Amino acid sequence: MFEEPYRWMEAVSTRHNYVQEKLKMGQPVMAVPYNEGLLIFGFAPQPGKIFEVYDRIALGGVGHPADVERLRMNLLDMAHLEGFNRSAQDVTSARLLQFGIAPALKQNFEEIQRAPYIIRMLLVEIDNEGKSNFFRMNYDGHWETFKNGTAIAGEEKVMDWLQKEIQKQPFATYSLDQALQQACKLWDESRKLESDDESKKDIPETLQEAFDQWYLEGAVLSEKSARKAIYRPLSKDEIERLKSSTV
Amino acid sequence: MMDSIEDTQAGGDFFNLLDKSGYNLQNFLDKLPVNGKSSVPQGTTVLAFHYEDGIIVAGDRRIMAGSNLMFERSEKIIPVDDYSLMAVAGVPAIAFEISRILSQYFEYYRRTQIRPMSLEGKIRTFSKLLKENLTASTSGLTRVSPIFATYDVESGKPSIYYYDMLGAEFQVLSFTATGAGAGHIRDVLERENQWGPKPLAERCEKDAAIIAMKLLHVAAQIDNKQENAISNVQIYPILASVTENGYKFWSEDQLTRLDSMSREEK
Repeated sequence: MFEEPYRWMEAVSTRHNYVQEKLKMGQPVMAVPYNEGLLIFGFAPQPGKIFEVYDRIALGGVGHPADVERLRMNLLDMAHLEGFNRSAQDVTSARLLQFGIAPALKQNFEEIQRAPYIIRMLLVEIDNEGKSNFFRMNYDGHWETFKNGTAIAGEEKVMDWLQKEIQKQPFATYSLDQALQQACKLWDESRKLESDDESKKDIPETLQEAFDQWYLEGAVLSEKSARKAIYRPLSKDEIERLKSSTV
Repeated sequence: MMDSIEDTQAGGDFFNLLDKSGYNLQNFLDKLPVNGKSSVPQGTTVLAFHYEDGIIVAGDRRIMAGSNLMFERSEKIIPVDDYSLMAVAGVPAIAFEISRILSQYFEYYRRTQIRPMSLEGKIRTFSKLLKENLTASTSGLTRVSPIFATYDVESGKPSIYYYDMLGAEFQVLSFTATGAGAGHIRDVLERENQWGPKPLAERCEKDAAIIAMKLLHVAAQIDNKQENAISNVQIYPILASVTENGYKFWSEDQLTRLDSMSREEK
């Protein structure tokens, strides 16, 4: 059936539609710089969007939780083996993506007999020179690099809008609290763009509802950290301050 | 790096991962020649004791091969994770490799399981690595005699463990020392703990650090393989602490001041 090129392209195109449809429910994850490092955060009905990958690398995921988990484990395996066999300095987001996950995801997506991964991923790091790097990767292995922050979301129009809005703000000059407030406002505004869909009727309508019904997951990679591993989840105090300043 | 997205296990076991990648410490150890000798590590003293905020860990810096000085800036106190230090007396190649594996193991577990390994889990993992070293260790070729000092964030308690070369662990409630100079300074520690102005566990950080420096002077004076290892060439011992804030090493400047204080104080 797939020996003809047209059939194969048609099958790939169908897979794109299938994955995009499945991803629609995914709530945005944003990553922005702030004056002491970078922040990654998102709201979700259950925890499982933001993770530590290595000393200076964090991951954000949108999609099927099992797929996010499997790719997370693969990233962790690669990062820790590389860190053990060579050095922590050799573990970089670019290497993990370019030589690790991206080719494997592309191959998986185009092998049309296999189930595609339902996922969009953010990979962020503060490199050894102290520079923040933001990577966004699609379910088909395509990845993009950004200097001033990025976002992923279930719907592409939401993702694109967030991307544009993030670039308009001088996040790198903000304190952590300011960056959190502004990012939270963008997250709130971005939901107006989401398509009306019966399946989205349970999504919180206001920020207050989001804080009450969902989990705010967030973490920072802080250059000020004295530890080797510079990832730390947002504290309860930081989340409370954000809640009182935005709701 | 990878050909496909592989099935993964949920165990967070770094040994399995190393095994799959083709690395095996046991294979390396099995290939070492057995010479039938079993000797105590020479020229090293490392120690650990409780003080009021946590644990002081200290060690000399010499590496000897028989009567030859091979290296005088060795770091025998090695961080394993943010709250744990390993102090080693013994064959450096194995000691450093064990600390490298442990460091990656604990971090790998914490990140995969999204929670730190329990204190008991850490202690058993350490023990497992020492047991893997067993055959080579009993031949005298790769003997390692470590101290594990850690702060358990969950219980809010610092703990010191001493391991024998067979991998058995012993929790130490006051102090321990290992290496060639250990016997002498254990006597001094016992005296300090019993008849000093306060038990060691109630001493402040400065006092505890001065005691540790003095003890390494004692070891250096008694063990000829540590002679002059301390300050004549401005190479100080390594001194660290483990508290609720994690581990901390004393800087070169702090050690200089501490060294003169420990020599002046009568």
